[in-house]
Amino acid sequence: MERQCPICNRKTGEDDPLCAYHQRSYLNLREKYDRWKAAMDISWEDYLREVARNPNTGEWVREVAQHLLKGERASEFRRPPS
Amino acid sequence: MCPPEGDSQLGRVLVVCEKPTAAKRIAEALDERGKPRASRERNVPYYVARYGDSELVVVSALGHLFTLTQSRGSWTYPVFDIKWVPAYTVDKGSRTRNFVEVIGKLSAGVGEYISACDYDIEGSLIAYTILRYICGEESIKRARRMRFSTLTKRDLQRAFKERTPTLDFPIIYAGKARHEVDFLFGINLSRALTLSVKNATGYYQTLSIGRVQGPSLNFIKEREVEIRTFVPEPYWVIEAEAEIEGKKYPLEYSVQKIYRKSEMDEIFEACKGAEGIIKEINSRRIIQKPPTPFSLGDLQREAYSLFKYSPRVTLSAAEQLYLSALVSYPRTSSQRIPSSIDIEGILKDLSQKRDYRKLAEKLLSRPGLKPQQGKKDDPAHPAIHPTGNLPEKRLSRVQSRVFDLVVRRFMAALGDPAVLRSVRADVDINGYLFYLRGRQTERLGWMEFYGPYLRRREVVLPPLRVGQAVAISRLEGVDKFTSPPARFNPSSLLKLMEEVEIGTKATRTDIIETLFKRGYVLGESVNMTDLGFSIVETIARYCPEILSVEMTRRLERDMEFIQLGKKTAEEVVAEAVEALKPILEEFKAKEKLIGVELNAALRVSRAKANILGPCPACETGVLRIIKSRSTGKRFAGCSNYFNGTCRTSYPLPQAGKIEPLGKSCPACGAPIIRVLRRGKRPMTFCINFDCPAKRKRSEKVGAAVPHLQQKNRGG
Repeated sequence: MERQCPICNRKTGEDDPLCAYHQRSYLNLREKYDRWKAAMDISWEDYLREVARNPNTGEWVREVAQHLLKGERASEFRRPPS
Repeated sequence: MCPPEGDSQLGRVLVVCEKPTAAKRIAEALDERGKPRASRERNVPYYVARYGDSELVVVSALGHLFTLTQSRGSWTYPVFDIKWVPAYTVDKGSRTRNFVEVIGKLSAGVGEYISACDYDIEGSLIAYTILRYICGEESIKRARRMRFSTLTKRDLQRAFKERTPTLDFPIIYAGKARHEVDFLFGINLSRALTLSVKNATGYYQTLSIGRVQGPSLNFIKEREVEIRTFVPEPYWVIEAEAEIEGKKYPLEYSVQKIYRKSEMDEIFEACKGAEGIIKEINSRRIIQKPPTPFSLGDLQREAYSLFKYSPRVTLSAAEQLYLSALVSYPRTSSQRIPSSIDIEGILKDLSQKRDYRKLAEKLLSRPGLKPQQGKKDDPAHPAIHPTGNLPEKRLSRVQSRVFDLVVRRFMAALGDPAVLRSVRADVDINGYLFYLRGRQTERLGWMEFYGPYLRRREVVLPPLRVGQAVAISRLEGVDKFTSPPARFNPSSLLKLMEEVEIGTKATRTDIIETLFKRGYVLGESVNMTDLGFSIVETIARYCPEILSVEMTRRLERDMEFIQLGKKTAEEVVAEAVEALKPILEEFKAKEKLIGVELNAALRVSRAKANILGPCPACETGVLRIIKSRSTGKRFAGCSNYFNGTCRTSYPLPQAGKIEPLGKSCPACGAPIIRVLRRGKRPMTFCINFDCPAKRKRSEKVGAAVPHLQQKNRGG
């Protein structure tokens, strides 16, 4: 069955929970977390909060960060990435 | 009245020009007494000039008088059968009918035809289609070409004397093939898109895409995705200031970005309150070559960077200056001034104007003037340069700025290299290295000529010595974040199109405009709309070739091959048809699916176009454009009206297109809109008629003009 991105209702990829744009944003978020942690020893949730309110953050990244913080239907993301 | 044919022993020559202003200049330049007889028939101006034994009838077109259309069939696709027809038969608003008919009349009894349109692909094609379809096939054999880069008397007389024995067929065929290929791509793909929506949903909306529009839109989309998926990274910079002899100078930490906060804290703690010691002083001379003369792209970029003029505005001003014979032909890729151009003559003429006198005389006092030449060349035209003529009438603000820019750049290109002195003092603060930088111009050289348009900052340092102690007056660790790449603006998009070689200097500006007109992008910094995204995504899924730079670049190369005689126009058009066929088949097979997808995006963009901004009263709803069922008039109403929590509404102008600007009025918080009306200047205002800012303004006007205030009260 066709699945929809919980953030924007676009179609999701076959194995991805989000649409292509939000999935790319999520992967970027995960990738950059290591740098933030090394830079200022920040927790995953604080990191999401900082990113969500940063004016330089991309629109889709902000949506993913806010979505993860709300935690609705996205509990699988609520842990720091391994 | 047309001149009577064959009434004298004079040979009759029909000179075809591209625009009425050019026709007038050409007739004046070629007439023996400089006073050609000006006539007008059915509002089409033409001139009769005497040149030796010949009578020249100089007539103008109005750009392209002929265009392509499909030969037969209905409004569907694929369309591969096309023909050239008078433009007025396709575009009912076209004013070209009289031109076609008057040129037909004037061509009777003509012995020789001359193409005197702008010397480029479009100009050559304009004259060719006029001769072929109005004056007949025979005229082509008796036609010659005037080649010129400026509309000055000298250049035009030379071009007439040296007119080529035949038309410039390689250029004409390349132009014809370009038009046909672009038409085939444009009509088929645009119809495919438009019909997919119409057939799937019954809704009609003009959608378009073309072989250059596709890759350009894709560049914007790629950049937009990069921006929207950007995660900023934190870093820190240390800002410091040194105080020397009572003056403050900025100090720059040797590492530009510090990526760990702990490291920044460490440096900060170590340097706080410490004194700096100068460890080393390095000084070097920098020779800065003069800039190259302007190609069209260079001029458009410089005008954007200095005055924020869009490429279209700059091009239009440069074309007006060319038609006034003030600058050379602007649609050129050349950055070179060939030796055939009389630089001294131009400078002498420019020195008649007070603003340029000193500078021009300075250059003229030097022997052997040689301009700085750029890498890019254009076989048809030199770089944009002044002709030496000075404005006879007052120029508009844009024209006068563009003219001054061209003149100064031309003079700067003739200047000597500038010499700058760069100094770097290494300052040690408790083991950490900081730089104290100075920059000073030692010899102005070309900069003297380009003065008002220079962007340079001088930092003059006091005398320094190694071992000198320096007081640190300020030390600060500043939190920073990396930024996403900048959005394109019309100028940077144009530059990219030039770099990847898609489109031509003549078409790129129009293509960018079309992207805006279709609603695919918006804003000064080019922002992609949902509709733009959907178009690119759909095309990427079903016919990705259209977005590829490779395909369009290959076609551009083919056009060059036509000019070099390595390929025929027919071969290139046939190859384009073969490339299109599978794309259109694929499209047709999935038409319904594509239509549904595109319609969803159209619905969103239509809904967004109706939202003016947040409601300043309830702050939770949005103000939408609503059409009253009872009166049919439009107004702005809050979306919370329907749940009964807010009744805010504002009247709106009934005429014109309303464009929400996404901004709120700083005085009252109501949305600011722009109203576009045909033939009128756009109006930008806040929708609140009782806005305190407006009241203040009208009170001010009233105070300045009391009778107006009385009238207003009375009214």
